[in-house]
Amino acid sequence: MKHMYGLCTALLLLFSQVIWAQSKDVVGKVTDSKDGNLLPGVTIKQKGGTSNTVSLADGSFKLTVTANATTLIFSYVGYTEMEVAISNLMNVTMTQANKTLSEVVVVGYGTRIRREVTSSISKVTAKDFQNLPLPSFESALQGRAAGVFINQGSGKLGQGLNIRVRGISSISANQQPFVVIDGVPVVSQSLGSATENDNPLATLNPDDIESIEVLKDAASAAIYGARASNGVLLITTKSGKVGKTKVNVGYFTGWSEPTKKQKFLNATQYKELFGAAATNSGLDAAEEFEGETGTTDWNGTVNTNWADQAFQKGNISQYTVSITGGDAKTKFLVSGSWNDQKGIILGNRLDRGNGRVNLDHTVSSRIKIGLNLSLSKSRNYRVPSDNDFANPLQLNALPPLHPIYNANGKLNSATLYYNNLIDQVSGTNLATTFRSISNAYGELLITPELTFRSQVGVDFNNLQEEQFLGKETLDGAPTGQAFNNQVTAAVLTTTNTLNYRKSFGDNHVFDALGGIEFQNGKITGASVTGIGFPSNRFTKIASAAIIQGGSSTETGFAFLSYFAKANYKFKDRYLLGASFRVDGSSRFGKNNRYGTFPAVSAGWILTEENFLKNSNIISFLKLRGSYGRTGNAEIGNFSSLSLFSASAYADIAGLIATQIGVPDLSWEKTDQFDVGLDFGFFNNRLTGEVDYFNKKTKDLLLNVPLPSANGFTSITKNIGDMENKGWEVVLSGNILTGDIKWTASVNVSTYENKVTRLVIPVPPGTRTMGRLAVGQPFGQFFGLQYAGVDPANGDALYYKADKTTTNDPSEATDTIVGNPNPDFYGGFNNHFSYKGFDLDVQCQFVKGGDIYNMAGFFQSVNGDYFDNQTVDQLNYWKQAGDKTDIPQPRLYQGNGSIKSSRWVQDGSYFRIKSVNLGYNFPRKIINRFHLENARLYVAASNLLTVTKYKGYDPEVNSGFVGTLNLGHDFYTPPQARTISVGINLGF
Amino acid sequence: MKHRNIIKLLFCLVMVLGMNMSCSKKLDLEPRQSIDATTAIQTPEDVEAAVIGAYSVMAGGALFGTNLLMVPETQASYYPNSELYASWRGTFTGQQQIGRKTMNRNNGEAARVWTAAYLAINTANIVLDNLGVVTDADQKSQFEGEALFVRGVMHFELVRYFGLPWGATVNNDQPGVVIKTKVSKTEADAAEKLPRNKVSEVYAQVISDLTAAAAKLPDDNGTRADKFTSLAFLAKVYLQQGNYLKARDAADQVIKSDKYKMNASVRAVFDNKNTDESIFEIQQNDQNNAGTSNDGMATFFASLPGIGRGDVRISSSFVNSYNANDLRRIEWFYIGTGARPGNWYCGKWKSFSQNLPVVRIAEMYLIRAESNIRLGTVVGDTPENDLAEIRNPIRTNLPVIANPTLNQVLAERGFELAFEGFKIHEIKRLKQSFSNYTWIDNILVFPIPQIEVDATSGILIQNPGY
Repeated sequence: MKHMYGLCTALLLLFSQVIWAQSKDVVGKVTDSKDGNLLPGVTIKQKGGTSNTVSLADGSFKLTVTANATTLIFSYVGYTEMEVAISNLMNVTMTQANKTLSEVVVVGYGTRIRREVTSSISKVTAKDFQNLPLPSFESALQGRAAGVFINQGSGKLGQGLNIRVRGISSISANQQPFVVIDGVPVVSQSLGSATENDNPLATLNPDDIESIEVLKDAASAAIYGARASNGVLLITTKSGKVGKTKVNVGYFTGWSEPTKKQKFLNATQYKELFGAAATNSGLDAAEEFEGETGTTDWNGTVNTNWADQAFQKGNISQYTVSITGGDAKTKFLVSGSWNDQKGIILGNRLDRGNGRVNLDHTVSSRIKIGLNLSLSKSRNYRVPSDNDFANPLQLNALPPLHPIYNANGKLNSATLYYNNLIDQVSGTNLATTFRSISNAYGELLITPELTFRSQVGVDFNNLQEEQFLGKETLDGAPTGQAFNNQVTAAVLTTTNTLNYRKSFGDNHVFDALGGIEFQNGKITGASVTGIGFPSNRFTKIASAAIIQGGSSTETGFAFLSYFAKANYKFKDRYLLGASFRVDGSSRFGKNNRYGTFPAVSAGWILTEENFLKNSNIISFLKLRGSYGRTGNAEIGNFSSLSLFSASAYADIAGLIATQIGVPDLSWEKTDQFDVGLDFGFFNNRLTGEVDYFNKKTKDLLLNVPLPSANGFTSITKNIGDMENKGWEVVLSGNILTGDIKWTASVNVSTYENKVTRLVIPVPPGTRTMGRLAVGQPFGQFFGLQYAGVDPANGDALYYKADKTTTNDPSEATDTIVGNPNPDFYGGFNNHFSYKGFDLDVQCQFVKGGDIYNMAGFFQSVNGDYFDNQTVDQLNYWKQAGDKTDIPQPRLYQGNGSIKSSRWVQDGSYFRIKSVNLGYNFPRKIINRFHLENARLYVAASNLLTVTKYKGYDPEVNSGFVGTLNLGHDFYTPPQARTISVGINLGF
Repeated sequence: MKHRNIIKLLFCLVMVLGMNMSCSKKLDLEPRQSIDATTAIQTPEDVEAAVIGAYSVMAGGALFGTNLLMVPETQASYYPNSELYASWRGTFTGQQQIGRKTMNRNNGEAARVWTAAYLAINTANIVLDNLGVVTDADQKSQFEGEALFVRGVMHFELVRYFGLPWGATVNNDQPGVVIKTKVSKTEADAAEKLPRNKVSEVYAQVISDLTAAAAKLPDDNGTRADKFTSLAFLAKVYLQQGNYLKARDAADQVIKSDKYKMNASVRAVFDNKNTDESIFEIQQNDQNNAGTSNDGMATFFASLPGIGRGDVRISSSFVNSYNANDLRRIEWFYIGTGARPGNWYCGKWKSFSQNLPVVRIAEMYLIRAESNIRLGTVVGDTPENDLAEIRNPIRTNLPVIANPTLNQVLAERGFELAFEGFKIHEIKRLKQSFSNYTWIDNILVFPIPQIEVDATSGILIQNPGY
């Protein structure tokens, strides 16, 4: 034993001797060149060695290096990497790097420095959207991310919005991008039972998000294989930062109103128009009005502005707290928020509570673990579908002659259409969502070059819909109706990756990643409807006299994926990348289970070459290109099978054949080519990028119509082709850099969509305009071309095939009357600062993009039926020779009432989307209150909209008409203009 | 050192692969609300489920749930004034086009009648194709009869809507509808492009199916089709063809079965379920009915507090054409108190969950009476007695008509069967005119849905005028 001790001591001595002989300690401090602040968390490495450390909270560091070490490398996210010769007490000042180039970009299964990215990725960071009253976080991309077209559709809270990355890449499968939060693919599609989509992403707290990356081209997206054709949104949540613990508290409150209210006829105008309409039809207006409404209100003196009844004063408040901190081993973030929005549409409300814990811990030099845990609850009091009589906006159809209330003070139910104010009193429609998107990971450093990472992610989403409609309501009559629906979606994803990175000599850097991912999703639902309630105070189905309907459902999907990617950098200027993914899915037909999705990319940093290296003008220039394939697997969970389903006949269960299957059914495929140029001029004071893309999508899933005489109306097959091509230009500049700072960024994007193969054209529906035809853009408006009014007799005229006009619509010919896709769209974003003040002004615009007001048939139809009319209808044809676009009113006669281009308008608009003016209190003042920072601000969203569109809001996309019918407006509520004030305090 | 790294790497790979290897089996997920067609029908119970499936399709709003009972009335209505009969006041485009006689080839109602009828026919053909698994001879015969019944009735309804009426050409060789007697199992079957058969051929197929059904079906089959249901439909078919002899005999057989008799109250057959008067009615309950807020007979016809849209307005002149004492006038018509109040509405359709009578014994008496008068025969009973069954004083509060004339029988038909899906077929059968339309007017025939014309590359020929 003693011997042993001695031996050990000897060995130890010997060993320390060796260490002493071979190493030395370097100590120092790192500060920020801008404000002299100490920088914690800076990585310090020995050049040509393996030892490294991280600076502590006070910016100090101590690193043991080998004796022969001469230089240390200092690196820190957002700062220029530095190499500094070792000295005794090192005082290193680091400079914030040009952001765009040194910015870290999140990519599929990893990160990269912007400078080395060879694919096309848009990035929006927290500071771009913090403190804004956003309806949901994706709307932050609008006008900020080139190549991402967003139409929020309506001003309804919690409603699904249209996000299209680089055009439209599908017809009948999903068109929305794939969403991945902290590496976990999540459910982003509507789960609810309502006709119009809800937005499951509205449950996320935008303040938890650090960055949103949009993977646009094949090289960036193909690593997500069969689900990446519509682009990929990578959401990264905030994480803890090394340094002293910081507490941030924020509060804002705001008020909102509709961006626009529309004008309808008042009582006098109404009687004038309909008096004329009835006379022209040889009818008596009062008599007809009585016949249609059962009231004698025609002869009354009431003048109600029904249209404005649809709105309420909205407001919003948000409270947030976040605590971050950490040391060299552990970093953490704990945050909580409460957001309460009362919408501008009667009865609309959304509140949301969020909690989050993000934790990273270094167990040892080889092992790292982490956990992102989030929980949220949101309650959405929803607005009925646009097409529902209960939609508050449909109140504008009610004649102004009807009073709102009866003499007895109750809401008037004797109206032309349902007085849906009754729904507000006797009904509720609440959707409650509980959601957790969480993950845990472990990382093992096998060798300095090789890392193994394993992650388990879960997206758990529970939606409860509860509706009650009292017996006074339209749909609840005569005894009251309640509906309850519960949907649970649970998606589990396990990901295992091996990451390898190594430099060979000075010229070669190589990294590679391989992985396996398994995902299993299950969505179960149960619903029940009850009617017959003793009174409106009983709203639960337990009190229902009759259980009218009930159902439970289950569906699911599974993906098994293998993927790999590699990047190679030569001489810091030639970049090569490749990726490969194999996706297998339960959704694909038995004969076609696995799909392969490869991509390659290359980049050339020209400014590293001698001929540009010393240019005074061009400070950065990179040419890049990529090509690859992605897929779209949102083809329905069981579309490949022939199926029988239950079909009950009264009390007896029956069975019918409902689907004829295609065993070859597979994913849709998109091959995308992208070429881009990233540049910086004048020492990167002006930077930008230009991209051209060409996406060719094939094997689009289409319902091929079958002759239904054989019992099936259609079969789902991979049969269509489509292409999208377009440009994206981004320019950013530091325009003023003195006391007054002004940075501006403008982006303009285009997409030109063309359907290139179909089985048969898809014609517009009876009321809608959107169609599909080969050689034409998706959703093109097709119908009769309105030719105005015959000055001789007031007849509505339409164009015939030979371009002459006719007053008989059946002689006229259908033709192209519009395109809902934009010519171009983009944003113009400005940031100003002066001393403690800062100002953000973000504008957003769309040029082109026609709108079809589908409600024109009711509300702008020169008094064809008793719906109240828009005021422009007063300018109707009155006598021979009148030149006007409004035909002679003829009650019931349908003069100009047929679906036509009469209600197609240009939907171009320019909008000041958000303004945020803040004041940062000087340190001297806030230090007295023990504050780290304090910012007071005023913000506005949708401050101003410039458009020629006559309806409520040019950013419109009615949700119930389906994806093909873009740009359709049907009593669709406008967005809110919100003014808010808020404060952020940091302790 | 290098060696160890490789071992570590391999270890990791094995771990990772091992964790995932078992997953590939998990890609085989089965649907939960539906079952795979290849294994769907294996037992007699499965065959019976398909029989029920066929009834469930017929009960939908596209067929007897709404359109087959309502469209014949709105098609024969007037616009904008209700004038002599009724008028469609609603805003649903497809129905509105029918009411206003402005249908076009994309009319949604025409499309759904076509599609649903052929879905019912395919379901019937599935039953016929799978009879092999039914071992019990009686059961087999019954299922076969029911399937033939559904197939016959559906072809009959289709040809009445989509072809020019019987008698429009001398040999009735105008295009009718596709006769479909083969089941669709594969994509190739389902994609077959079949042309329209002649009206005469379709009627022949209908008569053949219904005749065979009558032979195969039991005398009583609960609320489902039995022998006499098939015979009753045969009577309707023959009447539509003007084949009074066969119509008379079929109706006579139904009456003679003694299974049916007129209720004492005119309300009973609509308010109650499966009464004595009813030969075939669509079964509905609170859970399964066509009457959601956007479909169903009560939805369109009723104007009651909380029920109905008041879309089909009855003209006061039609209501007044009833004898003032006629209980049918009093019980079957009312002034609306719900939607579009203050006008006349038909009280036969007041509840979402009521059963929908499709054939009543009253119709058989009327067919026998009319045929006997036309043929100068007295098969079964005298027209006077047949009419008296309907005008039964307790039921209607009306006197009996002695020796009724043809016109009196036809008038009685109009009063008795109003708003039950007869009017336009009656106009076509009797070669009458109304408003500006003759019985043979193109606009009174449904368009072949354009999507069907396209799906068959034009093999289905469009109707004239569309």
